[in-house]
Amino acid sequence: MKFAIALFSPPHAPASRRALRFAQAVLDGGHEIVRLFFYQDGVHSASASVVTPQDELDSAAEWRAFVSRHQLDGVVCIAAALRRGVLNEEEARRYERDAANLPAPWELSGLGQLHEAAQLADRLVCFGGN
Amino acid sequence: MAKSLLIVSRQAPWAGPAAREALDIALAGGAFDLPIGLLFLDDGVFQLVAGQQPQRIEQKDLGANLQALPLFGIESLYAARHSLAERGLTEEALSLPVQVLDDTGLAALLDQYDQVITL
Amino acid sequence: MATLHLLSHSPFADGRLNSCLRLLGAADGLLLCGDAVYALQPGTTQLQILEQLPASIALYVLEEDLQARALPVPARVQAVDYPAFVELCGRYAKVNSWL
Repeated sequence: MKFAIALFSPPHAPASRRALRFAQAVLDGGHEIVRLFFYQDGVHSASASVVTPQDELDSAAEWRAFVSRHQLDGVVCIAAALRRGVLNEEEARRYERDAANLPAPWELSGLGQLHEAAQLADRLVCFGGN
Repeated sequence: MAKSLLIVSRQAPWAGPAAREALDIALAGGAFDLPIGLLFLDDGVFQLVAGQQPQRIEQKDLGANLQALPLFGIESLYAARHSLAERGLTEEALSLPVQVLDDTGLAALLDQYDQVITL
Repeated sequence: MATLHLLSHSPFADGRLNSCLRLLGAADGLLLCGDAVYALQPGTTQLQILEQLPASIALYVLEEDLQARALPVPARVQAVDYPAFVELCGRYAKVNSWL
């Protein structure tokens, strides 16, 4: 089965970890993830600027490793990200900001990517809130 | 055939970007000619109140985006009867023509769509 | 076209559970996770309401969230892990997360 997974929560929210464990179970179960789409405060879950205390779960880093390891299509909504200060090199340059915090494997793109993923997938599963 | 998507908007208009970002999902879907429905539920019905003055709190007018919905081909607009009633709102006071649904109607609406995003 | 509803907010602080119950279809399922599992706290109105739902409405809870909060699994509710959660998504036509 093909899944599109959308995340709406920052890395310190339980929903970010829950979405990650769900996504891992999707792949472990032999299913496919057509795309991960991070929207609203979920854009922070892709940020490389998050510093987590050493004895706590670093969801943002886990997400990054997960997407890289499985070569997934990880898309962060560009409008939501800009508003919240999550920028890749190109956007940091464009808006003359000092630092970029969205390296590969993440890509910035528009809401059309969410719709496309929903069209391609058998199930759209969203995670957010607590 | 394209899958239909129901967006359930539950956030009050000026509680942060959530209401606008829900609407943006709908407008983006409309721009791609996808079958999109939009249901205003719970505090989301406050988005429909006519005569709001967001400039008083330095906010952009969400009403302009709401009025743009039909231009993007999004004409399936709904509001929950109980949400309106709980909040002392009447259908006549709303800024958009929406279909008002009771609880049975809401369950049937949800059934009708292929996918749903509630935010 | 039954829906699996996913709730993650505490029913004591938030109206999502109530709103969800209003539009629950006869064959829908309800999966509680995060703070929404507090709805299963023994001796509460919330648990009573859930236990009185028609048998056609399946109730699930994410086991880890229940265990984290030292809550028992009520007889009416089925505890699931992540693989079962994934499998449930396929059993229902769509998933409605109350974000």
